[in-house]
Amino acid sequence: MNPVRVAFAVFRKDVRSEWRTREIVPALAQFIVLALLIGNFGFVIDRTNAANIAPGILWLALVFAGLVAFGRTFAAEREQASLDAMLMTPASPVAIFAGKALAATALLIVCEAVLLPALAIFFGTPLSADVVFAVLLATIGMAALGVMFAAIVARVRARELMLPLLTLPLWIPFVIAGGTAVQSAMGLPGNYQEAIGLLIDFDILFVVLTSLAARFVLDE
Amino acid sequence: MSLVVGNGITHWFGRELALEGVDLVIDTGEHMAVLGDNGAGKTTLLRILSTMLRPTSGRLQIAGLDAVKERRRLRHYLGYVAHATGLYPALTAAENLEFFCDLQEVARTRVEEALDVVGLVPMAKRRAGELSRGMQQRLAIARAILHEPRLLILDEPDTSLGDDAADLLTRVMRDKTVVMATHDHALANRLCQRTLILRHGRSHGTASRLHVVK
Repeated sequence: MNPVRVAFAVFRKDVRSEWRTREIVPALAQFIVLALLIGNFGFVIDRTNAANIAPGILWLALVFAGLVAFGRTFAAEREQASLDAMLMTPASPVAIFAGKALAATALLIVCEAVLLPALAIFFGTPLSADVVFAVLLATIGMAALGVMFAAIVARVRARELMLPLLTLPLWIPFVIAGGTAVQSAMGLPGNYQEAIGLLIDFDILFVVLTSLAARFVLDE
Repeated sequence: MSLVVGNGITHWFGRELALEGVDLVIDTGEHMAVLGDNGAGKTTLLRILSTMLRPTSGRLQIAGLDAVKERRRLRHYLGYVAHATGLYPALTAAENLEFFCDLQEVARTRVEEALDVVGLVPMAKRRAGELSRGMQQRLAIARAILHEPRLLILDEPDTSLGDDAADLLTRVMRDKTVVMATHDHALANRLCQRTLILRHGRSHGTASRLHVVK
């Protein structure tokens, strides 16, 4: 059984389903724009403080958009009872998990394509390659954790409550390192290289840990 | 030769006993019906046979493999049609099957063959969510036979199939070992050589068709 083929099949199936139903991305894009709008009206923003406030708003919007995006990954499978059909095949649970995580990451990246330009427009902050790179790096680890916890809580009734409770504490390292990297890229004090190094470390750590846990989460 | 051998299969859901000490032997090529009222344990037994549920105690071997310890290997040999169809409504009938071909490592040429068996070739390009309940059930059956399993496990497969359910299931079950849960005694008699009666999670014996069960 080729795990890459399985992961790609799961990824393609999820992206194709989202493309046809447009259940998640349009709603998340609207949510992101509204979050930025509220942030824009909630703070008195001028040229001097925009770079201080914008990273916080960016990570808040990203974290809550991520919770919604990752929460849906397994909830839909449970509702349609299709997860059992997938797990009845000899395909590796790790490959299935990887495919789901890749698809959720892709959806969140699409939302980030709305978030980052909108942030630049609402807050007048520079949209540089460094900012995009930091956000993309954080997305990888956040997706791995978010999808794993989404798989766990999909079995319980209070999953909408449980997902943030389990996920948010473990996303804090990404918010801290990612926040430092984005602030630094926007011209505020902070070591960009060090923050990016930390994000890469966290990505490797959590991708490996969640891959090891995937088998037990999905199949036990 | 026996394909399935189960001894003392017992399952508890928390404090509720769902199955108690069920023994069963199913020979290769045999069709066995599992009969019983609602809550008798039919679905629990079928989920254990499908390896989706581990028995609390007892032993189960399928095709010589331990159904608990070697269940991933065993899944090559199993096809399961559950109560819920488990289809992806946004994908077409053919795309649903192609996805499972990729997961089963089966050539995609099997898609048309499986659709043909269940009479869904004209619906291949229709989205699963747009199909009637009966057609969705046919598609779920097609998915279960894609990889030509040695043991086919059917949980009330006649649901919503309509008047030609028996003919369709006869085609699907041909040359396969089958365990089928149903409420329809006439259908069980027509399609299966033996019946297993469950009451309150306990086996009340097996019988050849048209025989009264003890």
